[in-house]
Amino acid sequence: MTVQTSHTARRGAAIAFLSPAMAVIVLFVAVPIALTFWISLHDWSMYTPLSQMTWRGLGNYADLLHSDDFLNALENTLVYVVIVLVTTVPLALALGMLLYFPKMAGKGVARAALFSTYVIPTVAIAIVWGALYAPDYGPLSQALGAVGIDSPAWLSDPQTALLSLGVFHVWQMTGYYTILVIAGLTQIPDDVYEAARIDGAGFWRQTFSVTLPLLRRTTTFIVLIAAINAIQVFDPVYILTQGGPAESTTVLSYAIQRAAFQNGMAGQASAMAFSLLLVLVAVAGVVLAAMRRRTAAEGRS
Amino acid sequence: MRRTVRAATALAFGLVILVPLFPLYWMVISALKGPEELQKAPPTWFPSHVTLSAFGEVFKAVPFGSAFLNSVLIAGVSTLSVLVTSVMAGFVFAKYRFRGRDLLFWSVVATMFLPPIVTLVPLYWLVSTMGLADSYLGVMLPWLANAFGIFLMRQFIADVPEELIEAARLDGASEARIVWQIVTPLLRPALVSLAIFAFVFYWNNFLWPLSILQSDDKFPVVLALSRLLSYSTSVQYQNVVMAGALIASVPTIVVFLLAQRVFVQSISRTGVKG
Repeated sequence: MTVQTSHTARRGAAIAFLSPAMAVIVLFVAVPIALTFWISLHDWSMYTPLSQMTWRGLGNYADLLHSDDFLNALENTLVYVVIVLVTTVPLALALGMLLYFPKMAGKGVARAALFSTYVIPTVAIAIVWGALYAPDYGPLSQALGAVGIDSPAWLSDPQTALLSLGVFHVWQMTGYYTILVIAGLTQIPDDVYEAARIDGAGFWRQTFSVTLPLLRRTTTFIVLIAAINAIQVFDPVYILTQGGPAESTTVLSYAIQRAAFQNGMAGQASAMAFSLLLVLVAVAGVVLAAMRRRTAAEGRS
Repeated sequence: MRRTVRAATALAFGLVILVPLFPLYWMVISALKGPEELQKAPPTWFPSHVTLSAFGEVFKAVPFGSAFLNSVLIAGVSTLSVLVTSVMAGFVFAKYRFRGRDLLFWSVVATMFLPPIVTLVPLYWLVSTMGLADSYLGVMLPWLANAFGIFLMRQFIADVPEELIEAARLDGASEARIVWQIVTPLLRPALVSLAIFAFVFYWNNFLWPLSILQSDDKFPVVLALSRLLSYSTSVQYQNVVMAGALIASVPTIVVFLLAQRVFVQSISRTGVKG
């Protein structure tokens, strides 16, 4: 076989191998992203043909800025993301170190238990959490009552409902992030710690001067993934609160689905969806740029 | 001092095992309780009277059996398709050189982070315009390939030695033969973990089937479960709902336990790289 024919054969193979995956991704991911933007410039009910769309320009976006529903959903989403980030990230770092460093039996069991929450269908386990949170019949209120604490009404109180969903999210996802931390820890060579010990650094000193700085990439990645996962929370809201009570748990993804599929306002739903995408891109950009700048600064020093 | 540290660590280990498992425990005992016991406030932490009746009722309340099979079909076909498409695309991105390759690859990888809600409306429109609303194919089609699988496979195929592939080419093996008979057998652990990831993801996927399906005979099990919940919100039926939740969770739990080690390792492999 000549070089020329093998080259042509390989080009044919490349096209054949790539096209199934690329067809799906282009048709069902790339095209829909563009369509989301296009639809967001129109008034349209999803259940009518595209020809019945009417042009609105940026009108839907202008409406969003004055829409109490959207602003409420945006605020709820932000609060939810903050609740999740400030708890899961430190917790995952602490648990990762706990399940990596000590020489103790049961590490494997603990890792498996922690990670198991991630594989169970959200719908199934959210139903269980609904029962755990139940005011009279639930174990949580009972346990708090036993130690003399007046239990909040959890999901039925607008003050605590969003927080309760956040607690569920933290319970469900922390195991996954912990495994990522453990993966990061395995990449730190032992001699770094040895050197620190010779310099007289104790446990806390090692944690803050060696472990955490060397885990920065992992941590950044976890912050990003955790934010993306929290921003799109839908299943538990749909199952447990339907956005209530008093709209206190209406987050963006729920508002988008409701506007499009229940209220027939696909244009406005798409404006929300595209805004969400822009926010995500901006957040990812900032986080990644910050990471790059830090890495560059370290390289120079 | 040492002893306090050890005791604290042991306590923390205990919590790390108990806290994740407690809701599972609650799911199981609630499924085993009878209606009278469920109506007790405060609740009992161990069923005083174990009954399996809820596991029969769940199949009468909604078509739970066919929903279970629907999930097997949907998750099974999607997983198979993801394995095949990911190996092929991963091979190209790992072993072929062409202009724009890295740009294309990273564009694909970026879609991994796209929340499905962003494109839900046009996706619904596209699939129903193709005449596939409320069909099995409509549920599966948009998910028959994904960026995560391609990314994972590229990472693993990149480690396959170049000489092996060159040697096969010199022996006159076609590119297809190289992919399926030389490269794929070397990917066993990676394929197992991708299969598990995909299966768990498609089994649990809720938003898309909820949006595209109308008839209950096509519902996957998580959708049947949410329907079951809306029929039986009263606490005395909680055993039925919990039995449903348990049945819906069993496949993912079994798959996870069978391949737990590979699963956790593969996260280490893909979670953070570079």
